[in-house]
Amino acid sequence: MHNRNIWFWLFLTPVILGLGLVVVVPFIYGFIFSFTDWNGITATKFVGLQHYINLFQEDEFMASIWFTVKFAIITVIILNIMGLGLALLVTRNIKTNNLLRTVFFMPNLIGGLILGFIWQFIFVSVFNDIGMLIGMESLQGWLSTTRTGFWGLVILTAWQMAGYIMIIYIAYLENIPKDLIEAAKIDGANSFQRFKSITFPLVAPAFTVSMFLTLSMAFKIYDQNLSLTNGGPFNSTQMVAMEIVRTAFSDQQMAFAQAKAVIFFLIVAVIALTQVYYNKKREVEM
Amino acid sequence: MKGKKFYTGIASALLASSIALTGCSFSSGDESASESSEDAVTVDVFQFKVEFKEQFEELVSMYEEENPDVNINVKTVGGGNDYGAALKTSFSSGEEPDIFNIGGPTDVQQYEKYLADLSDTKAAEAALDGTLTSVKKDGKILGLPYNQEGYGLLYNKKVFEEAGINPDEIKTMDDLEAAVKKLDSNKKELGIKAPFAFPAKEKWVIGNHLANAYIAEEFNHSVMDAYEADTIKFEMADQMKRFLDLQNNYSIQPTLSLDYSQQVEEYFSLGKVAMIQQGNWVYNTIASMDEEFAQNNVGLLPIPVEGYEGIPVGVPNYWVVNKESEDEVVQASKDFLDWMYTSETGKKFVTEKFKFIPAYKGYEDLEIADPISQEIYEYVKAEKTLGWVFLGAPIGWTEDAFGVAVQEYIAGNITWEEVLEQSRKAWEESRK
Repeated sequence: MHNRNIWFWLFLTPVILGLGLVVVVPFIYGFIFSFTDWNGITATKFVGLQHYINLFQEDEFMASIWFTVKFAIITVIILNIMGLGLALLVTRNIKTNNLLRTVFFMPNLIGGLILGFIWQFIFVSVFNDIGMLIGMESLQGWLSTTRTGFWGLVILTAWQMAGYIMIIYIAYLENIPKDLIEAAKIDGANSFQRFKSITFPLVAPAFTVSMFLTLSMAFKIYDQNLSLTNGGPFNSTQMVAMEIVRTAFSDQQMAFAQAKAVIFFLIVAVIALTQVYYNKKREVEM
Repeated sequence: MKGKKFYTGIASALLASSIALTGCSFSSGDESASESSEDAVTVDVFQFKVEFKEQFEELVSMYEEENPDVNINVKTVGGGNDYGAALKTSFSSGEEPDIFNIGGPTDVQQYEKYLADLSDTKAAEAALDGTLTSVKKDGKILGLPYNQEGYGLLYNKKVFEEAGINPDEIKTMDDLEAAVKKLDSNKKELGIKAPFAFPAKEKWVIGNHLANAYIAEEFNHSVMDAYEADTIKFEMADQMKRFLDLQNNYSIQPTLSLDYSQQVEEYFSLGKVAMIQQGNWVYNTIASMDEEFAQNNVGLLPIPVEGYEGIPVGVPNYWVVNKESEDEVVQASKDFLDWMYTSETGKKFVTEKFKFIPAYKGYEDLEIADPISQEIYEYVKAEKTLGWVFLGAPIGWTEDAFGVAVQEYIAGNITWEEVLEQSRKAWEESRK
């Protein structure tokens, strides 16, 4: 704290300026606009809480929130299991360790939009053909029902993000002191016991981080949603971010969309902060 | 002491970052370069038609050569919603374009205070009857039509011939149904997978175009009537259902995940289906897949509507000029638009390179480049057209109310009566 000299401020100011200009100011503006009848060009009158009252009565918005919550729960569970699983796999002494890490991480480098289109092809065409070949009807017609659309999104997200989460777990796994494990081995603990009593508690901080990341990511997902299902069929796989964009730009109700965005922000903030708080509490110090 | 250090810190940091920022503005020098010739007028165009971006830029540079004192910057942002959003953004950020595009009466209402009166342009005078109705307000003409577009059932001539179906004999829904059944029972021999490819994933195909064919009549084929209507009756609901079911049942399944590009590229262009419901805008896509097929083998059938034998034709978009720009810029913008649609060079470009169906008089001796547009133009000349009314529907209604309801109907969640009921309610609510 003593080194707050000129250099400290010199380096910090551009960041603060940038953050203020592109995050804080627009956020405040948006918050104010959500109480007006702003149409994207002008705001003429103040409507108070009207938008906030309306949005809780709108089925579509509530449906998209519910859909997003379900999606978030499933993806957080799957991603963390997969991330930890992959991390455990590549921290063993296998020859192709580095190659595997790269391979698992790779999907994360592809943009969400492109991924969506690639998986759309896989779900619609490849799944269909395989289904025909082996006579499994459940593989046909993917993305044309709400259920398959949901699982399509889950699969896509898991495939894309698992490698990223894996990296976080690797970092923590490699920090576990080798002597602890060795001591446990000498004491006769089998590999499951070692995982349960040593590895798992010690990677708890990684859970905090990666759960926060996956949770906020799952809530804010947009481009994958747009390119994979485009909210269809009948807007039933539409997540909150997409619903807000639709309200703003297809229905041209900018202020209403802004109100939805504020509510959305509050939901994500509350959930993420609660999660971090509870996870932090049960972390163990090494 | 500590406080003083804090302030000097802030001050020097601000200074440093402002220097850094000015540095940035120096480096983007190409904009100031374009204003170098002192009395040149700069016109900023913001347009949305991605399909003709290159051709349009070519035309612009030809104009700039002829008129060295005019500088035209073109910015293109594609697609309906994206364009609308980008246009709004540029207005609210103060970077207002001088020429931009609007769709129908709803857009006119939103941007009204920016729209210059274009009544005194040659292009407005040459515009065909009826193409200006949705941009006329208080005796002023606020926009100039881009072009005309039309749609119907595009069919594969070869497949029809092999199946022994004469397209000229398909006049009513019964004829069409018989033809479809015939195609369906001979699928294997004809080498097709299904008679139709019906992209129910695309809400605009259902909500805009399919619906339009059957609601045009009750709004007297006029966008403005639709725009002013408090309710929608669906007088031809039974016919609409029959046509929808026919397309849906005899299509490649599942229709709910079938999209536009699959419909046009994968299925129609490669000859896997006999018919698709689309318009002249697909020509370039088909040609890029199979030039020969696009030139010689695509025919157009009207969507069967009782009492009508016609193609829905309309103006999808308008050019408008920003009134708030400086007077000389407004004038230069008008001159450019005039030149594009009324000069000899411009006219040739419009038909040959843009492949437009012209919405203006004076194109009688020019050949329209692609066969689908040609056929539509024949219908226009014979006055066998249906109105293009969906641009007058409440914002978002066509796709997010009607389109969604039909998708639910296709999925079997709701009945046809519920589709009509829901859509009617949505229309009435947004017109309150």
